[in-house]
Amino acid sequence: MRKLGFAIATLAVAAMTASPVLAATDLTVFNSKSEIQTQFEEEAAVYSEEKGVNMEVAMSNDPVITHMGTRYSSNNPYVLSMVDAKDIYSLTPEHGIDLADLEAAADTDYAIEIDGKVAALPFCIEARGVMYNKTAIEEITGEDFDPASVATLDDFKALLDKLVEGGMETPVAIMKEDWSLAAHYLAQWVEEQEDPEAYVQALCAGEGDIINNEKFNSLMDTFDVLMEYNYAKDSAVNADRNKSEDMLAWGDVAFMFGGNWDWSLIVQSESDCEMGMMPVPQNTEDGSNTKLVGGGSKYFFIDSSVSEEQQQAAKDFINWFAMDAEGQDFVSNTCALVSPYKSNTLDVSDPLSVSVKAYADAGNLIPNYNFFPDDHITKAGASMQKYLGGEIDRQGLADELTEYWKGATPIEH
Amino acid sequence: MKRNTMSYKIRQYLMFAGPATLLFCGVVVIPLIYGFYLTFTSWDGISKSKPFVGLTNYITAFGDKAFWVAMGRTLIYSAIAVILVNVVAFLLAYMVTRGIKGQNFFRAGFFIPNLIGGIVLGYVWKFVFNSAFVAIGENLNIGFLKNSWLGTPSGAMACMIIVAVWQYAGYMMLIYVAGFMSVSKSLIEAAQIDGCTQSQATWKVIVPLMRSSFVQCIFLTITRCFMVYDVNLTLTEGGPFNSSVMAAMHVYRTAFTERAFGTGQAEALILFIVCAIVGVTQVYIGRKGEVAA
Repeated sequence: MRKLGFAIATLAVAAMTASPVLAATDLTVFNSKSEIQTQFEEEAAVYSEEKGVNMEVAMSNDPVITHMGTRYSSNNPYVLSMVDAKDIYSLTPEHGIDLADLEAAADTDYAIEIDGKVAALPFCIEARGVMYNKTAIEEITGEDFDPASVATLDDFKALLDKLVEGGMETPVAIMKEDWSLAAHYLAQWVEEQEDPEAYVQALCAGEGDIINNEKFNSLMDTFDVLMEYNYAKDSAVNADRNKSEDMLAWGDVAFMFGGNWDWSLIVQSESDCEMGMMPVPQNTEDGSNTKLVGGGSKYFFIDSSVSEEQQQAAKDFINWFAMDAEGQDFVSNTCALVSPYKSNTLDVSDPLSVSVKAYADAGNLIPNYNFFPDDHITKAGASMQKYLGGEIDRQGLADELTEYWKGATPIEH
Repeated sequence: MKRNTMSYKIRQYLMFAGPATLLFCGVVVIPLIYGFYLTFTSWDGISKSKPFVGLTNYITAFGDKAFWVAMGRTLIYSAIAVILVNVVAFLLAYMVTRGIKGQNFFRAGFFIPNLIGGIVLGYVWKFVFNSAFVAIGENLNIGFLKNSWLGTPSGAMACMIIVAVWQYAGYMMLIYVAGFMSVSKSLIEAAQIDGCTQSQATWKVIVPLMRSSFVQCIFLTITRCFMVYDVNLTLTEGGPFNSSVMAAMHVYRTAFTERAFGTGQAEALILFIVCAIVGVTQVYIGRKGEVAA
């Protein structure tokens, strides 16, 4: 009995005097880029083991703000969140910390600053333009395809006619999704304005004169041509995105408006065709037909209510993917994305991102306008779908957009 | 122990109904009150503050043209779907209570669509309308099937109604089956002895005695159709060009996409009240003329 008592006492003393085992810091991460969720989870497991943190990556099919709102309401925010640029302006003033002291912040031109603070840092560069299937074009024309040769709408149309003559009856696919039509294609009309901010203010005041706007007409002229050669012309508002991407991958169509994120679908077709991305062809001389539209994308911010250890772990992770060789490999090779950090000089592996990187490196990106109203996609998207479906003409579209913008509220910034 | 004291009754209530009351309050009453409170704020869903704005959200909701268009669309959809669901369900129930061979198999078969969630049903039917019907139309040269019905506003509405009938008819059929079986055979025999034909016995005896089944089925169909969201989301996504956005989808978009939680909540409350008025009125009228054997 004495021995047992002694043993218990010894164990108790040992337990009290032993140095405590430190629990790994919890690093919860929200990922809004669903196509890299698997890669992100796998990398998180490796990163956790190497860095001694407990990193968990979550994603949601809900709208980002809805999901984040749920987490904040339940007092369980993510330590590190990746959201779209427009969401940064709503989330970080109350929930984010200043990231100015991060090495990564000094290594990029795409950080978002709010009230003099670095509110968020980007994960990648994304851009939009017209995707093309080089192999399919060259097979029909018998000539090398240089996207710069079809910068104007006239040249582009001549090429489309040539493709039709060569047997590709409908060389274009158009995504009918409202986010593609409104947030990507139509948005370019605002983004190409000399001063997008002032133009949006004018639109809100009902003074945009959309129907006579040069940029609007230039882009809609191109859209008309895309519609004319659309493979799904008879049922344009019902075209299936997966089918369209597959047709582009295999060269059944040669062109489709989109962005480098489309690669995640195109790659599933396992086609070996050579592809790329080029600016939207327009009959213009201001150089906008030589630039893609894009910039920093998928921004990270760190929550202000979590512990300092967690904030530090999150900062370490941002510095890691931006500047560490392994982290850069994760962004450029594992995720096949264009890094927005200067120290990352790795080549990217997907052909659309190769184009994006080339335009970004040459400074040929028209910046995104990140302050479109929250209902822009659903309302302006519906108007664009009507136009695509032939329900309204250009005047009708301009009227609907004018009406929409009169009551619109751009995101506060 | 005295059994008629207040403390005894409270203890008994808490013991038997306490947990259920707690849960009911937690998941229904409190959220309802909280939601009602949100209608008086301009909360954006993430902000720590919820500024009080009085009746502004209700004024915005009543002035939201798109909401009332969606509400009108929902009324039309519900009216057509409620009639078709119940007609089809009644006919199916009639068929599977006539003693046909394998009627239990048919009952199970017709009920199965109700077991599939609306989200899955929406995707399945989207494939059917977009690919299967179109392929049939192209191969057999059937004009009206060549283009997907989901591509036009009226087509999308028709698709919504077809899927509603497919989804709910089996469930309502079971209620009608129970109604058919609850009618005493002696009454039918008595009617036939009095000279009724089979159809006369059905319309003059069975159907009036099944009134409670009709009341239940119509009430269930009305409430489900009014609140339709899942099929709306996956089958049409509100398209083409927002022409099939039903009231619930409009409310969701207002609250979550446009981040106007207060206005969305106010619109949800209006939708709830409209649905409750229609449903309760129907039950009141239906029950009024109920007969018993």
